Amino acid sequence: MKLRETVIQAAYSLRANKLRSWLTTMGVAVGVFSIIAVMTALQAVDRSVASGLSSLGSNTFEIQKYPATFFGGHGRSRFINRPDITYEEGLAFKNLMGKKVDRIGLKVSRSGNQAIYANRSTNPDITLFGADENFASANGFDIENGRNLVKNDIRFSRNVAIIGRDVLNTLFPGGENPVEKQIKVNGKLYRIIGVFMNKGAAFGQSQDNLIVIPITRYLAHIDIKKSISVTVEAASQKEYQATIDQAIGAMRIARGLTIKDPSNFELRTNEALVESFREFQRTISVGAFIISFMALVTAGVGIMNIMLVSVTERTKEIGVRKSVGAPRKSIMRQFLLEALFLSLTGGVIGIVVGASAGNIVAVAFNLPPILPLAWIIISIAVCSGIGIIFGLFPAYRAANLNPVDALRTGK
Amino acid sequence: MDNTLIRMESLCRFYEMGDQTVKALDNIDLSFNRNEYVAIMGPSGSGKSTLMNIIGCLDTPSSGTYELNGQSVSGMDDDELARIRNREIGFVFQTFNLLPRLDCLRNVELPLIYAGIDAEERFDRALDALERVGLGDRVNHKPSELSGGQIQRVAIARALINNPSLILADEPTGNLDTSTSRDIMTIFSELSEAGNTIILITHEEDIAQYTRRFIRLRDGKIESDTHAPILE
Repeated sequence: MKLRETVIQAAYSLRANKLRSWLTTMGVAVGVFSIIAVMTALQAVDRSVASGLSSLGSNTFEIQKYPATFFGGHGRSRFINRPDITYEEGLAFKNLMGKKVDRIGLKVSRSGNQAIYANRSTNPDITLFGADENFASANGFDIENGRNLVKNDIRFSRNVAIIGRDVLNTLFPGGENPVEKQIKVNGKLYRIIGVFMNKGAAFGQSQDNLIVIPITRYLAHIDIKKSISVTVEAASQKEYQATIDQAIGAMRIARGLTIKDPSNFELRTNEALVESFREFQRTISVGAFIISFMALVTAGVGIMNIMLVSVTERTKEIGVRKSVGAPRKSIMRQFLLEALFLSLTGGVIGIVVGASAGNIVAVAFNLPPILPLAWIIISIAVCSGIGIIFGLFPAYRAANLNPVDALRTGK
Repeated sequence: MDNTLIRMESLCRFYEMGDQTVKALDNIDLSFNRNEYVAIMGPSGSGKSTLMNIIGCLDTPSSGTYELNGQSVSGMDDDELARIRNREIGFVFQTFNLLPRLDCLRNVELPLIYAGIDAEERFDRALDALERVGLGDRVNHKPSELSGGQIQRVAIARALINNPSLILADEPTGNLDTSTSRDIMTIFSELSEAGNTIILITHEEDIAQYTRRFIRLRDGKIESDTHAPILE
């Protein structure tokens, strides 16, 4: 019997039991769905990770009291007893680094601030930075309108502010020029001197919802005791690693550490962040893979179960086919194809729904939709394997039925 | 040319039932010529079903020889038997045994599918066979949409489609009323006149009367083998 005929016969049988075929298919669909959805989402997010996590400017790293454990499980408690990095230490560090380093920025921040202008106010979700003139370049911001902070703003603790694009949009919706306007942040007045250019979102979170004031003013008026972070920008990629080494030494001296003391501060680099994301991604991938694998094995057992029921139900049909001359091979092929049909249909449904679901994540993060081709191919291969492996035993059983006994059954 | 279609010599078929051996067929010597029209009769348990299974190559004898069309069937494996059934034998069953989900045309062409005939020729031959049994206007009906007599005619069309050497009918009228039975038997008579070899398994005397040779079985042995008087 030709393959085309076998396919037609198999299709007839599946159509006759539509509900059952669909239900069996769903098992496979769920398994494939979970892996494809997760992989699509991860791959979509992955593309923006390098840029999204690289919130620091190029050749830039940061020194902080706490590590940037975005995705890890380390608690803050291990680090809480470290002494804060003070503004004075920051200044000393700056001196020690000397002219070798392009720019060194000192900054401190807190979240959950509200800004008010005229009768408009923002949500209390603005990040307020106390910083110096190097904040913009070290953090990859450009000034769109007005000016940056200057040394004298810091020296005299001026009550000036640069606002992010989100703050601008909320407080000045009519396109009014915000420069030289007075806004109130947490009840204190600031004069706007500049606006940052739009930076966009990373991981669905806006990076433009911020206000920057001179660090000296921040420490004097808002939070006297707060650990600052130091942003260092190396002159070039070539000098990046050397600059990191030098900075660690300088910070140890600034913090008064002896040679025996361990460093009581952390280094945060773009690479480290991306690496910690990759680790998170790997963990999720392995998890999704294990879940999918178990779901697919369960689905495979379901297919086998249904195929065995089908063989039992259709014993008479098998008898008839054998009596008119069907060889074992073609009975076997028919049942195998049915199992393959079930698992592949489930696989295709899982791929379509999974890729769609994964891309919903992509759209939510403002990322271009993608098709995880490699995983689609793997899924199709795995589904074919499952159809064949779990269809083999029922098909074998059908093919080896004795025609006399098969014809004698009631159905 | 040898006119013998089937030859059985000291053919036995035993079944093991627990520790007991049942002799379903016990030393059968029998032969049929081409174009014979035979009725095999006997009460239930006489071995006529077993004999039919062996003649139809659905089963093989425990011992003895069985030759169909000059080929010894005794030692064949499942797939070889399937090939013989496909080429040499057309079955008509008491319970019709059509596939309920397929329409008449697809039921009738089934043997040709396994013979590897392509779709176009299958269609033509299936249509032809259905027309021969008077169902040319029912080709796309499913068995559930037909009467018992019509279903059995579809089954006969299926049995004819591969031009078999032998048509084997197992109680073909067992599930039909008297007048429908008469119609079906008329078709068999016509097929016999057209040169087909037909073996009919039945326990009904009046159905057997349509044939020209009567073989009676009892307890796995041939009780009698008589020919009908030639009618002038």
